[in-house]
Amino acid sequence: MKRRTFVKALAATGVSALLADNVLAAKNNPSLRFLRPPGSLTEDDFISRCIRCGKCGEVCPNRCIKYFGFENGTSSLDTPYITPREQACILCMKCGDACPTGAIKPVEREMQPILDNVQMGKARVDVNLCLSFQGKTCGVCYRACPLQDVAIRTGMLEQPHVLEGCVGCGLCERSCIQIPQAIKIIPDHTRQQLRT
Amino acid sequence: MKDIVRHLNKVRWGVLTIIFAMLILLPFLHLYQSYEAAHAYDLLAPSEKSIYDSMEWLTKPFVKDPEVELNELKGTTWSGTLFGLKMSDPLAVVGQIAAGKNIYWPFLLTALIPILLTVVFGRFFCGWICPATFIYELNDNLAAWMRKAGLPVSKHKLDKRLKYFVLAAGIIISAATGMIAFATMYPPAIIGREIYYSIALTGFGTGMVFFLLTLFFDLMVTRRGFCRYVCPGGALYSLLGWFRLVRIKRDVTQCNDCAKCNVVCQFGLDPLRDDFSQECNNCTACIAVCPTDALSFTLNIKDVPFQGPGHLGHKHKRDEA
Repeated sequence: MKRRTFVKALAATGVSALLADNVLAAKNNPSLRFLRPPGSLTEDDFISRCIRCGKCGEVCPNRCIKYFGFENGTSSLDTPYITPREQACILCMKCGDACPTGAIKPVEREMQPILDNVQMGKARVDVNLCLSFQGKTCGVCYRACPLQDVAIRTGMLEQPHVLEGCVGCGLCERSCIQIPQAIKIIPDHTRQQLRT
Repeated sequence: MKDIVRHLNKVRWGVLTIIFAMLILLPFLHLYQSYEAAHAYDLLAPSEKSIYDSMEWLTKPFVKDPEVELNELKGTTWSGTLFGLKMSDPLAVVGQIAAGKNIYWPFLLTALIPILLTVVFGRFFCGWICPATFIYELNDNLAAWMRKAGLPVSKHKLDKRLKYFVLAAGIIISAATGMIAFATMYPPAIIGREIYYSIALTGFGTGMVFFLLTLFFDLMVTRRGFCRYVCPGGALYSLLGWFRLVRIKRDVTQCNDCAKCNVVCQFGLDPLRDDFSQECNNCTACIAVCPTDALSFTLNIKDVPFQGPGHLGHKHKRDEA
């Protein structure tokens, strides 16, 4: 390969990569609801930081971190995600310590650092499905929450009310006894998309 | 000294085997840790119990609290924690800088030890550590068996500089799309990940298809073709190890021109004509096969130019006469 061919081919690759950007980096599939591990950067930064080493899943004692195939676009191939209804995050913060690139920030396992740095999503109650809102006292989500009275509080008949402190770990969704679940985590990146 | 050097190829196979075995062991250790964290031994299925028991037996002499202490041995060769020391592949750092367009210093520092070793030893990662090399070399043995049986196998040659193009193209694609393109097409990263997926998660992922294609490419198109012509990691190590200190050198007075070294060299180099260049991965296969001990290590930042035919060979004797 001559130097000229090399440079020409390289330029062609660059141009085609820019053109194919929308295909290659096809951003989130909006119908897919997933959470990034606790302490993750915002979605775009996360994609460009994560080197797909799989260490976050390997240290997760709860085995809630799974990895994408092609279902969420090429850009999130092999990146970690959590489906809270299957297995929710227990906020042990080990993945942040294990992550070599800072795609998942290292966060201390204390109340205040977690409230400041973890933004996986926010829980949202569907009052039409929730048992407590239909006069049957339940309160399971409140009891499952690791940040009780900071992230969620209960009103009359144990009706859950999500507060500002919710970090979106998904333990409430995991524990909801209704099928389909009456409390759902709206992921942070979906909230960002909805805002813009 | 000579004796030790002759056996280095076996040592290398030992190292490759240990690393590959570790990649298989680590997912099981992770499963053991998660069972341990759940505190529910009685609720495990029989197969899970057997994993728990065997891993407990294996780690009991070394660790007291497996839930915490086993976290010091995690990851793959792409990026891993080795006894508490985080180390990453330099290619991961290059890809991350290209994709994120920023430098995250703690991550860059994890690649420092591999970079320094590469500057001294050249492409040693490709021969001594890479878990994909373990499979590629076995694949090459399969090609040899197939050739013996008279089946068609790889015999084409491509341009060695193709891999530098792949490296540059990967950096450009990473920068344009904001995702680290190397992570999905770099065999050692794929192997480490896929072993973990298949043991601890649901099964092999999409990377395995790509890896099987590279195996087929090696078998049918060119010998060790992916490592020699395509691998961006190999290209990066060749660049880093351009002036490497530790090289293999031919002693012309001992050489008898038997050309066995050229045959065993899976990277298609030419030890017989002193042509090692930056491609050599110091795998020492040529040293092990040399019948007259003409090849050995030397400390030099440049290869010796062609020294002429070996003094024990026919050609040299004919020229002298």
